[in-house]
Amino acid sequence: MSQAGRLKRYRYLIGFALAHLLLILTVCLRDTFTTFALAPTIFPIASKPFWNDAAAAASFVLGEDLQLGNPARNLVTSYLNAAGIEAGYGFFSPNVPSNYKLVFELHYPDSRTEYELPHVADAATAFRLESLLDRIAEVSYEPMRQTMFQMLTYPVWQRHPDAISVRAVLGYVVWPSPEQFQRGEKETFEPVYAYDFDLRPSVPATARP
Amino acid sequence: MTVRSTFQRIEQFLFYQESDRWVSVLRIGLGLQVIFLSLALRRDWTYLLSSGGRALISRDLTEAALNAESPFIPRLGWLIEVGNHFGVPESITLWLTWLFLILAGCLLVVGLFSRIAAILAWFLYLCVVRSVGYFSYGVDNLTIIGLFYLMIAPLGDRMSLDSILWHRSSNRDLLPFFRRILQIHLCLIYFFSGISKLAGIGWWNGASLWRALTVPPFHFVNPELVVRWKMLLPAAGLAICALELFYPIFIWLRPTRTFWLVSICTMHLMIGLTMGMFLFAFIMIVLNLAAFATFESFTRRLRAPPVSAILQY
Repeated sequence: MSQAGRLKRYRYLIGFALAHLLLILTVCLRDTFTTFALAPTIFPIASKPFWNDAAAAASFVLGEDLQLGNPARNLVTSYLNAAGIEAGYGFFSPNVPSNYKLVFELHYPDSRTEYELPHVADAATAFRLESLLDRIAEVSYEPMRQTMFQMLTYPVWQRHPDAISVRAVLGYVVWPSPEQFQRGEKETFEPVYAYDFDLRPSVPATARP
Repeated sequence: MTVRSTFQRIEQFLFYQESDRWVSVLRIGLGLQVIFLSLALRRDWTYLLSSGGRALISRDLTEAALNAESPFIPRLGWLIEVGNHFGVPESITLWLTWLFLILAGCLLVVGLFSRIAAILAWFLYLCVVRSVGYFSYGVDNLTIIGLFYLMIAPLGDRMSLDSILWHRSSNRDLLPFFRRILQIHLCLIYFFSGISKLAGIGWWNGASLWRALTVPPFHFVNPELVVRWKMLLPAAGLAICALELFYPIFIWLRPTRTFWLVSICTMHLMIGLTMGMFLFAFIMIVLNLAAFATFESFTRRLRAPPVSAILQY
């Protein structure tokens, strides 16, 4: 088949590929501009509104300004998810972030206190747990965050049914610089959110951000 | 340049003589990736994917958030509902999903019923990743990207059992076309990854690389060893940024292509070895080789008569 014939024959496929690549480009631009707008970068602070506007423009192209449930928005979102292109590729950027750590403080009737970390069986799940903690830290809707803490605490309570209360503390680990490490300094833990769960019935959880 | 010549250039770019080896690499690589990922999650499978109080984060919560995004995004809840309809409990459906993922991976590796296996692997893995939600990370999206391209690519490459048993062959017209999409996608991935890294001061002064290598759970190398080479961290950080940022240029130029491809694959290999992200490294190497490796010379070498045979004459 001649080349001109191929172009004509596969014109719909070429159109699909063009739309697909434009979607990837738009998602990449949205996430990159968002990173520049929110994270500390080498760009001046004064440029933040520009990056914000640019990210908003890219979001607009992706239909994110449309109402939830809008068919066009649903269509684009579903396609992006199905093709695995709904997120950009800013891995470890602009800087490698602090890693989060979740610690459970278990209190017993005899005033004893024990500490425990989330439990997973496989090493590969440890990376996923890290991802989960990063996302919990980013959740801005308080009831949602509290529900997630409750879910994470539940298996701990199952393993320690005699505990009367559990405090779940999420914080980030401040890692020493190479120079500090050489001086023997260790990492420090900075609590961000803490939730107390009284394991006696009908006592509500309390948050201490 | 006339409109006609522009079209000719586009045609030449999209439709050229292409070997089907890249499809073999993508098919076998993704088959192995699906098997490895499923095996890696084996012991935590129901702990991550169950609903109610049996999971670390209930699937109900993840799928509710997913539903708010769009009700049409595939998820495990759909399969569980179908299972419930036939009286199959959730845990059995979850394990059947796991088994079918392994099966699809095996079929992809040998190239038997490749199209069905590719669709099955894509759909099941997509359901798992979307339902696991908060636990997903980069490797999952890159695997879905690969499976998506594999699903729509012309399958039936010469190394597959489909081709050997039933003489099914790839649509040769479309082989280069789909490879171009993958190539451009990889260029976008690296360009935006590189430019985002360069915007952070940590990649200029070596702090980001230091943290990437030493902060848990990525601390596969003794920090004492890393700190001994701290003078090299800024240069190494910038080299990574440069490798990614200029990938879309130097990977296309014939004189630099092999060097850039080997360098980027070495970078991913090092990420795998020093940070323990083996599956991330593996999928990136597979995608790079499928997109940009040149197979002709390798194939020619395989077909060449052995040295002993040449020496006899």
